[in-house]
Amino acid sequence: MAIRIQLDRILLERRMSLTELADRVGVTLANLSILKTGKARAIRFSTLDALCRELGCQPGDLLAHEPGPQETGVDLDPDDA
Amino acid sequence: MRVPTFLKRGTSGLTARRFADANPLRTLGPGSVSSVLKIALDVAYVLLALITAGLLILFIVAIFIPLSDLNIVVSDDSGGRAQTLTRPLLLFGLGAFTAWFGGFLLILRNLRKIFRTLTAGDPFRPENVSRLRAIGLILAVVTAGVWVAQGLVAARLAPGVMDSQGLGELLTPIFSVLVVFVLAEVFREGARLRRESELTI
Repeated sequence: MAIRIQLDRILLERRMSLTELADRVGVTLANLSILKTGKARAIRFSTLDALCRELGCQPGDLLAHEPGPQETGVDLDPDDA
Repeated sequence: MRVPTFLKRGTSGLTARRFADANPLRTLGPGSVSSVLKIALDVAYVLLALITAGLLILFIVAIFIPLSDLNIVVSDDSGGRAQTLTRPLLLFGLGAFTAWFGGFLLILRNLRKIFRTLTAGDPFRPENVSRLRAIGLILAVVTAGVWVAQGLVAARLAPGVMDSQGLGELLTPIFSVLVVFVLAEVFREGARLRRESELTI
């Protein structure tokens, strides 16, 4: 996906573990892992708000756009293929 | 700020739970109307399986045991009249009933699987799309089979006993089959939204 979540870098800078962030933000660790590994399809504004609040950063610090080929991403409906 | 585990956002079955919370009569999830219907379907499935098995055994027995023609009395408005129960008529009747019950057995089998997901509170599983399509297909085959079989009995096997069906009588089955196919597509859309929702954090 062309949009990348730079959660690893920010967590390292804040010296915070993913488990701790999950606890603070109120998102399950599994969902936060999906976000971190770039498998997420979308992010809610409320989640982004909570992440920015707990990490003390701006959305732009968390998200980065990497130019590349058209997104192949997650196949939402394999039956349509 | 620590958030209790039970307040954390999950994704699977979220819509179903919201829906269940908004309705005083719970239709989805454990202990709901779906679970009661599932038990009823289980009972019906077992009964239908026994009937189908019985008919199948009768059909096989009828193939191998030579039966002499029997005279049965068919009642109608003008009184009774004799109808010879020929071997082909008996075999055809038994075969048709076995196929009819077998078809409904397959429909119930798919319905039970669908209701299992409803009882689990997760209706929009991708498997339910193919199950609904299978139900629509079997329903189409069974109703078309009944229509053809009734026509065959009326015209060839036992003329006068049964009225031939008109095309108008196919309207309701066609409508039902189309509704099931549309529902399958609704479930496909639901499954797509579910997958999208699962990957929205």
